[in-house]
Amino acid sequence: MSDVLSWVFAVLFVLVVIAWYLTYTAARLDRLHVRLTGTLAALDAQLVRRAEASLELAHSGLLDGATSLILATAAAESLENPGEHGEIREAVENDLTEALHVSVTEEVGETLHEDGPLGVDHLARLRSACMRVQLARRFHNDAVTDVRRVRRKWVVRLFRLAGHTPMPRTVEFDDEMPPGLVA
Amino acid sequence: MRIGIVCPYSFDVPGGVQFHVRDLAEHFIGEGEEVSVLAPADSETTLPGYVVSSGGATPVRYNGSVARLNFGPVTAAKVSRWLDHGRFDVLHIHEPMAPSVSVLALMAADGPIVATFHTSMIRSRTMQTAYPIIRPALEKVAARIAVSEDARRTVTTHIGGDAIVIPNGVYVDRFAAAPHRPEWTSTPERPTIAFLGRMHEPRKGLPVLAAALPAVLDEVPGLRLLVAGPGDPVEVTDGWPERVRQAAEFLGSVSDEDKASLLASADVYIAPNTGGESFGIILIEAMSAGACVLASDLPAFSRVLDGGAVGAMFRNEDPAHLAEQLIGLLKDPERRRELATSGQARAHLFDWSVVADQIRAVYETVVEGRLAAQTEPSTRWNRFLRGGAR
Repeated sequence: MSDVLSWVFAVLFVLVVIAWYLTYTAARLDRLHVRLTGTLAALDAQLVRRAEASLELAHSGLLDGATSLILATAAAESLENPGEHGEIREAVENDLTEALHVSVTEEVGETLHEDGPLGVDHLARLRSACMRVQLARRFHNDAVTDVRRVRRKWVVRLFRLAGHTPMPRTVEFDDEMPPGLVA
Repeated sequence: MRIGIVCPYSFDVPGGVQFHVRDLAEHFIGEGEEVSVLAPADSETTLPGYVVSSGGATPVRYNGSVARLNFGPVTAAKVSRWLDHGRFDVLHIHEPMAPSVSVLALMAADGPIVATFHTSMIRSRTMQTAYPIIRPALEKVAARIAVSEDARRTVTTHIGGDAIVIPNGVYVDRFAAAPHRPEWTSTPERPTIAFLGRMHEPRKGLPVLAAALPAVLDEVPGLRLLVAGPGDPVEVTDGWPERVRQAAEFLGSVSDEDKASLLASADVYIAPNTGGESFGIILIEAMSAGACVLASDLPAFSRVLDGGAVGAMFRNEDPAHLAEQLIGLLKDPERRRELATSGQARAHLFDWSVVADQIRAVYETVVEGRLAAQTEPSTRWNRFLRGGAR
């Protein structure tokens, strides 16, 4: 009799441990998903800010007409797709980085700097926006790496702890600072 | 912004991480932010007003050296109280893997967390055993900062993911304002050169400098070598030629003010370090003070000196080359002035104001993401998992 009872207790104990481990892992995963939502939203916000700063510079009259047009088109493209993710968005942001690289060259940076407070102000805003895009993308991709690692665990896959949340992927585009903004 | 900063090492003794935390906190307080620092400290140690002590530290052998750490259930409760009481917008944890208040804060915290990694020399065995325990807690960290490329490499190889490199800052103006001291300033017959650091540690390079000096003394007989830093002169000078010993003057450990004045007064500051330097903050301090710098060509030093454009360099562990460069500098005051001026200009790139702006950008990005995540709708299941919070 006592044999049976100790077996029952043993099984119960194991079940409790399993249940605890599952809830613990689920909570851990949930926390990671919250972090992921946050980093993605932050990246979105910074991308919008970068596009706005680029657009302002294009409309400021400090650049020549052709350059302004290139920059404004690329920035507008980016502003048209807020909240969208995936390859299209990445291509659009790549284009904006490229447009910034050809328009804010080292020479242009120096000229704007000498032009007075308005130029300096535009440069400062754009530099801050570009730096924050770099930060936000790095932080987001770190979160993606963490989520993917935990989601590869067999408990998570076996018990479908991630529910229907799609597997996140890293956001890849060139976010290099344009040469006119460095230093 | 309410900023909470956690320092794992005791404020009883000076150290790189402690200075970094102190400078960062003071910078943000100067900009009008609310800052609280949690760190171990004995009750006798006088602390700045913004530091909260987590209790006395215990010396513990960890990761190959003795560190003064603070842990245990009482400390854990104190950490939780500090977190509850502070209600920080952002929590900045230094050395999140150090088994002290850092790990305790990381485990207890539940808000936007930024972590800064300082060391580049974590042993892989330490990592392998320690890592599984704190990996789930490390996943809370929203932004990782490394103070050097080497520290970043440690993060990427051992933890995975990436880290932003934001170097240590220097208060350039504090060093630039340092007064010259007549006793350390050169005269035409008696030029002065300075060495700073723990003199008995071979990797700080004092033996290399000593080996170079006979050749230098042949050309510049009146040269004075000023050595500042902890160590026993008798032991260190053992085996040096008599005239090199005559030229050396040992100042012992010096205060921050004296260090700045020494750097400002000497004709040439020499950094003969042979390795193990990940950043070279002392070079930036010397440049800030307006010293002419002569350093070994370590990659870290070369980065700071802009490949030799703002300071002279010699081949690492090559006393003959060191002597040649040093004689050249001592005989050319014009070049010394040029290097000192361009060095001081470059030092501003590493000023705390520049560094702190980057750290502020990290804080703001993290806080913004957290706010956005909180507006997301959550299900009953999510609320259950978060312990009914929110």
